[in-house]
Amino acid sequence: MANQSGSVYGLTLLCPIIDDERAIPSHDLQIRYHLSKLPLGPDSPFAVAPGTHLARLVVLDDVIYVGMPTCEEHLHSKYLVFECNCDGDRDSYLTGLVQHIPNQLDAIWSHCTGYPGSKDLPAFLDYMKKCQLDTTFFFAPVNDKSVNQTLSALQTQRAVAAFIATHQGCTDTHLQQDFKVFMDRLQKAPPPPPAAHCFARAMKTGGRNE
Amino acid sequence: MSNINGKVYAMNVVTPMKPWKTWLLRGFFFILGHVKALQTDLINLHFIQFARWVIVPRNAFPFFGGTQKREELKYDYLLFFSNFNGTWNQYIDAFSAVLSRGLNLIWRWSEKFPGSVPVTPFKSYITSVQFDTDYYFSAYPEATINDVESAHIVQREFETLARSAAALPANEFRAAYQQFVLKVQSHLGSTGDAPEVF
Repeated sequence: MANQSGSVYGLTLLCPIIDDERAIPSHDLQIRYHLSKLPLGPDSPFAVAPGTHLARLVVLDDVIYVGMPTCEEHLHSKYLVFECNCDGDRDSYLTGLVQHIPNQLDAIWSHCTGYPGSKDLPAFLDYMKKCQLDTTFFFAPVNDKSVNQTLSALQTQRAVAAFIATHQGCTDTHLQQDFKVFMDRLQKAPPPPPAAHCFARAMKTGGRNE
Repeated sequence: MSNINGKVYAMNVVTPMKPWKTWLLRGFFFILGHVKALQTDLINLHFIQFARWVIVPRNAFPFFGGTQKREELKYDYLLFFSNFNGTWNQYIDAFSAVLSRGLNLIWRWSEKFPGSVPVTPFKSYITSVQFDTDYYFSAYPEATINDVESAHIVQREFETLARSAAALPANEFRAAYQQFVLKVQSHLGSTGDAPEVF
């Protein structure tokens, strides 16, 4: 199954957005406005819910006409694309989202056609399954580590670098004693929360030339 | 809206394909997935955290009835989602310079694809078929894929040393510690905010 690479699952959802001419602003704009206000750091909904390495939400307005001699065609609906790389499998990941961020899910997906809400878990899972696109080819160079394992490893990397820098020229006994203390502290430390090292950028668009 | 979060860039590309060509592309991806040697250049570039290609058949767009109209499309669509480190230009340049043959085998089935070399029409094409990201989350935005790989090496070596640290006499511990430092010293690059490129 190309959706799975090692222990990482590649989930791709294509959810039709409600087309209602009476809605002001339109549902796609409401999604965009809501997404623009979502935090990216440890209070992001995807940091609160477990198991997300990377996730994106994109409003797909239409398909692209690439020019003659291609036939010009357009979509009847706009779609919300959700693409994420997560731990485990689809159902356990989505269940985790429902358990931890039901209101955030409803705030986003309530603008999509057929969305049953997060209160009815089987209906929610069934809806997401219907919106899922199977991955044709999935490339994941590190596919055997969970989010928490990676966060812990990055924490260890920073701590080890600092330890080495501050313990040059120590006596053997001093070095071993300090290492034991350091080792105990590091092994007992919980993994840092996801997205804890999120930096505000002055340049936000990520334009083509950046 | 941002395509960038920390050191990761989210690229979304959607290209139309004639339906009969998608089977050729599926065949190529099948081979690429089963012959790991063909992925060597992609792996060696060390700047992609996750990437995926998804073929959407023209009659497979999700449909829920009600007021939604069923799509009536002539083309299948190839979706490409990449999470890479560095800038858009660096990414496209590297793809064009190092992976041109592989890229051509993937996108040559898409309508009007100009080829990945020369790079100017290739960049123009990608620009025309790219969608911007509305929300982009990363659990470790401060780290590149190289940082992640290095961190796991440091973690593994640290755990190895930690298992023997208490039992060794002090002089033997120093020798083990020095071996540990030798193994991890090239994997201790600092993580942090991404540089801004102008």
